[in-house]
Amino acid sequence: MPTTTTSSALSQQRPTDLVSRLSSPEPEIKLKALREVKNQIIGNRTKKLSFLELGAIPAVASILSATLAEVDSRFAGGDDINIANKYTSNVLVQSAAALGSFACGFDAGVRAVLDAGAFSHLIRLLSVPDYKVADAGARSLRMIYQSKKAPKFEFLKEKNMEFLLSLLNSESENITGLGASIITHSCTTNEEQRALCDAGVLKKLVSLLEGSLSQRDASLESLAAVFKNNANVISEFVRLERGRVLSSIIELTKDRYPRTRLLACVCLIVLRNTSPQHLQDLVIKTGMVDLLLELLDDPGQVGDEASFVFSSLIAEKEDLQKLAFEANALDKLCNHFQKGQLHPKRLQGVLLALADLCSNLETCRSKFLSLQGLKLVADALTHDSVDVRTASCICLRSVTRSIKNLCAGYFMNEKLIIPLIQLLDDSSVSIQVAALGTISNILIDFTTRKSTFIQYGGVKHLAQLSKSMDSVVRLNALWALRNMVFLSDEKCKEGIFLELTASLLASLICDTEPSVQEQALALVRNLVDGCINSVEYVFSEDGIILDAVGRQLQRTSKAEIGIQGMYVLTNVASGNEFHKDAVMDRLLAQANDGTQSVIIKFLESHDSRLRTAAVWVVVNLTAPSCPGAVARFVKLQNTGVVSQVTSMVNDPCLDVKLRVKMVLNQSYDFR
Amino acid sequence: MSLFWIVIRQLAEIEAMAASKKVITRDEWERKLNDVKIRKEDMNKLVMNFLVTEGYVDAAEKFRMESGTEPDIDLATITDRMAVKKAVQCGKVEDAIEKVNDLNPEILDTNPQLFFHLQQQRLIELIRNGKIEEALEFAQEELAPRVEENQSFLEELERTVALLAFEDASNSPVGELLDVSQRLKTAGEVNAAILTSQSHEKDPKLPNLLKMLVWAQDQLDEKVAYPRINDLSTAVLEDPAV
Repeated sequence: MPTTTTSSALSQQRPTDLVSRLSSPEPEIKLKALREVKNQIIGNRTKKLSFLELGAIPAVASILSATLAEVDSRFAGGDDINIANKYTSNVLVQSAAALGSFACGFDAGVRAVLDAGAFSHLIRLLSVPDYKVADAGARSLRMIYQSKKAPKFEFLKEKNMEFLLSLLNSESENITGLGASIITHSCTTNEEQRALCDAGVLKKLVSLLEGSLSQRDASLESLAAVFKNNANVISEFVRLERGRVLSSIIELTKDRYPRTRLLACVCLIVLRNTSPQHLQDLVIKTGMVDLLLELLDDPGQVGDEASFVFSSLIAEKEDLQKLAFEANALDKLCNHFQKGQLHPKRLQGVLLALADLCSNLETCRSKFLSLQGLKLVADALTHDSVDVRTASCICLRSVTRSIKNLCAGYFMNEKLIIPLIQLLDDSSVSIQVAALGTISNILIDFTTRKSTFIQYGGVKHLAQLSKSMDSVVRLNALWALRNMVFLSDEKCKEGIFLELTASLLASLICDTEPSVQEQALALVRNLVDGCINSVEYVFSEDGIILDAVGRQLQRTSKAEIGIQGMYVLTNVASGNEFHKDAVMDRLLAQANDGTQSVIIKFLESHDSRLRTAAVWVVVNLTAPSCPGAVARFVKLQNTGVVSQVTSMVNDPCLDVKLRVKMVLNQSYDFR
Repeated sequence: MSLFWIVIRQLAEIEAMAASKKVITRDEWERKLNDVKIRKEDMNKLVMNFLVTEGYVDAAEKFRMESGTEPDIDLATITDRMAVKKAVQCGKVEDAIEKVNDLNPEILDTNPQLFFHLQQQRLIELIRNGKIEEALEFAQEELAPRVEENQSFLEELERTVALLAFEDASNSPVGELLDVSQRLKTAGEVNAAILTSQSHEKDPKLPNLLKMLVWAQDQLDEKVAYPRINDLSTAVLEDPAV
């Protein structure tokens, strides 16, 4: 009998002593140490980590393998196949349980268990006739399969399907549960889903829905994995027993166990997101919205997950967002938020759910703002957890899509701007990108309050990030700057240009990433829009920017880049004689294929947006009020541009047609 | 559940009959009740469900033999469950934890709130036994990390540690933590978690049926006067006061 079962804390043995005792030659000491390790780590993440660092996992794994080898040799020696020895059976159970606990909710533990080679030993336990041993093995393997770190089970490999079916057909709840966990973890491709159905797994899982609580839950999770993005499997499923099985899952959303309700809902959402023709009934849709909002109140894991499931239900679906709005989802989520001291995971989920709710509908955004949601999210911007900070940025990005509030300059305030700018320094790229997305929205501020952003060093940060090694960060930083320059005043533009410099802009126009090139050109387009002084920017440093634009136009085959580049030239061509002539040079340069000039290449484009942009430049170059207009017109005539434009008078695109008419009207003055 | 629906149906029938308050005599009432058929097996199952859930293992075993009603759970697990419950009730929390882990290691690994409450109970027991230094060490080593993982435990930890601040802790504002009721609460929580892990409902069905009976009678009172059951322990029909 163990003598340590007093209620004294100090009676607990120190981890170092325990680990050394795991390799004791004394069987009883070893077993006791094993059991003690198990009892210390269960439910205790800190202890899991410290035992892991002390090398307990390989020690336990080697006890397991040695004991199994001993069983094998005894069996080979003609002993009874049953493990008659209670000690041996106990060691197997305790070591499996300890390994399972190391793997439970602790990815580093899973990795260590796998590295120690324990996986195959645990699989071996499943075929040990002692049901307690087999059960312990199954339980531990299930823990491993609940982690993303678990090895992928190859369903398509020979014999593997057979093995899986043997698990699912087992009498033991833990072993069938393991079978289901394997499917949930490893079934990802359509081919695998098909193979599982063909092997009769669908029917097997359906029969588990009638089983115990844990079998039902495991089955629901697996069904979701088998359905995901596979309309064929789903149509096969909904026909099962003339739709009765589908009804039984709908029924499970009303089960008395919250976890079962949640998993049934997940299953239905996956089904619906893949095959939208199903579950369109308003009662079912409202039912799911109400259920998930109710599950948010669950204090445990179910409540943590409910908001993520809610997001998957409403994301990109306006009809469901509307239903959620009508079900007071915003009040509910905001209330939740106000409770304070939420677990980071829960906070993240609530923020992402709010983000999805506010992504499309202005009604949701105004409701959110009226509930003082902005303050709550602003506080979350400085949360300790990376995930929460990212989620709050994503939430703000949705909310700041509100044109009405942007116009009112509602978002340009220190409570948001300061933490957002600080997040630009964050070491995590995902946060930087999320923060840039929000800043981009806020900077489409139509009032003159952009100075607030400059004042807190925002532009410096954006300029810095536009040099990031990560192209997504560069892209988003330029996007924010592009929005900031849009319709901004002279002083603001000057500040931004000083920070960015002509040479940086030129190099960004020639970035390796086409999407970055496009944003850089769009930024320059907005920069040179407006008064004549702005046009001068592209001529600084010997016209390094204009050269870059010209080169990119000669080189590119991407319409988006051509469009932005042509509008840069259009805006520059609205300047003085000198500016216009510079544009002429760039337009008449030969495109890289050497057969035609840049302007002809774009005028002949199949993309009407590109043709529009190209004709616009010609409009500006031939504006008759300028003294040099005639000379430029003649030059354009000699190079075939005018005849090309004339031939476009019946262009199928109305925009193009209109601009062509403008050019032709202007040209009457020159003839 | 069937009993409940029968009462509801009767309620509806009566409601349809008259809007004013009607009197139903004992004879009439008993006749009505005689028409309701209850299967003996259902009764037995309800009794077995009560015995199993409440943990009367010997009684359940005897009842199984005498009535032939099969429990929906392995009776041996009841013994284990009761041992855990008893350990908590006696303040041997560490012992209880080991027993739960032997029963099913998943329970405490996947139920942080329950695990915290058991550790909290351990702390309470240390304080009760005057092991102040150990209690402080335990709070720091075992409970503080749990609070770091989940802030919602903070308040409970603070309340528990506050026991140390009072000379006469049991008469302090947080004294109720030292009550037997706190042990019972924790024991009940473990019991429920074990039952759930065995796919068994954590509450017996019998009390719910009685609750429904009381509720249905209350509803009926508004419409009719009838022989009522006032004392649940005897279930005697008492004549309506007319």
